[in-house]
Amino acid sequence: MTADTARAQGGRVWDPLVRLTHWTIAFAVVLNGLIVEGGAQLHIWIGYAMIAMLGLRLLWGLVGPEEARFTAFPPSLRAAWSHIADIRAGRHEEHRSHNPLGALMAYAMWATLIVMGVTGLAMESDPFPEGRTYGYVEPETGDEAQGAEEHEEDGEDEEGEDVLEEIHEFGGNLLLVLAALHLAGVAFESRRGGRNLVRGMIGPGRR
Amino acid sequence: MTAPAAGGARRGGRMRVNLLAALVILQALCAVFFVGDVVADLRLTGLVPHTLFEAAVAVALIVGTFFCGLEMRRAIEAMRRSEQAVAAASGAFGALIEERFAGWSLTPAEAEVALFALKGFDMAEIAALRGAAPGTVRAQLARVYGKAGVTNRSQFVSLFIEDLLDTPLVGLPSAPDPTAPRAAGR
Ligand code: HEM
Ligand code: HEM
Repeated sequence: MTADTARAQGGRVWDPLVRLTHWTIAFAVVLNGLIVEGGAQLHIWIGYAMIAMLGLRLLWGLVGPEEARFTAFPPSLRAAWSHIADIRAGRHEEHRSHNPLGALMAYAMWATLIVMGVTGLAMESDPFPEGRTYGYVEPETGDEAQGAEEHEEDGEDEEGEDVLEEIHEFGGNLLLVLAALHLAGVAFESRRGGRNLVRGMIGPGRR
Repeated sequence: MTAPAAGGARRGGRMRVNLLAALVILQALCAVFFVGDVVADLRLTGLVPHTLFEAAVAVALIVGTFFCGLEMRRAIEAMRRSEQAVAAASGAFGALIEERFAGWSLTPAEAEVALFALKGFDMAEIAALRGAAPGTVRAQLARVYGKAGVTNRSQFVSLFIEDLLDTPLVGLPSAPDPTAPRAAGR
């Protein structure tokens, strides 16, 4: 099937930027959430890549083509309810972008990803975690041991760190739950509409 | 069925868009890397020329990403316009056009130009849609007219009007013609 016939049948193929950012983010979430241990250097690199892709997708939501822009899928509870009513009545409507429920899910996942990025960065850039001095020695004291001591004494900071860690870990699990719901939603809408939505996220296919 | 005419320009457009996408992704990754590096350096060494330079690079990368994104949207929109223009020629009349083009043995590029001409785009618009020079389009149109045995666009278009009048119109009672392709109900 060519892109044209897909479009003619109401099929939609997302532009390459939406597709690339989607799959890198999905990959990052699965890797960081299930496979790579939190705090590992690889976890942090993957986290940075995720932040880059998320930032890019959000920028694309402002300047991208019509159906990728936020205005094409505004977060609206009312629209979501009417979509649920459609489902119950067995009505199927084509949407030019995400359906209203899918849109809410996208915003929920993006919000969680932002929280993951912020808390992850905050933990990662904790001033001078032990063993990561970048080979740099404080000029005033020239004494690393003292720096570490000060750090340990700083009980309030430790507590803040713990809270960050809690939020970050909870967010990671929440993301995995949201992703599972997301998959179920994609499968459900694909069956209901008789059109495989995943294909639109993979590409126009070979002609 | 898509006309073979649906070829070059769009494949070129798609490649351009994919290339731009790769570039934007790379820029975004670099931007985040540089911002992270600047923040780490600021914390370690404070505001020194090296950090300032890196900060400038980071800003340039972010601005570059933004403009590259805008450029990419423009490319996507141009590609879609040309896709739509070509794709709309489907159904029975589309098949008839395709048949005619094949009969004149138009090359894929000529067929696409001819289709745009049929749809009423002028030379400059066709050039813009195909991303080609106006001179190229003029030459291609001249070859199309030559192959079709006409001298200008209105004669070219009327060839198809004739065909259309010969074809049983959908929805009108007409003598059944088993060979005439019928448009499916829409
Ligand atoms: C595991 C992590 C995943 C996350 C965090 C995630 C997140 C997202 C987000 C944020 C969107 C909105 C896309 C946009 O507008 O840019 C989206 C759309 C989509 N995702 Fe995922 N996704 C994940 C996994 C998957 C998987 C494994 C599949 C397929 C098997 C998938 C299929 C889709 C499809 C088809 C859409 C478009 C839905 C539509 O047509 O409206 N996703 N996803
Ligand atoms: C892509 C989404 C992400 C997911 C699903 C995720 C998931 C997790 C989980 C589940 C943990 C706890 C693991 C454990 O306690 O062993 C963790 C820890 C951690 N994550 Fe992430 N993470 C993500 C993004 C990030 C980012 C963007 C950064 C920073 C750039 C980051 C930095 C860290 C750090 C430093 C820890 C260690 C916390 C500690 O134990 O002190 N993560 N992450």
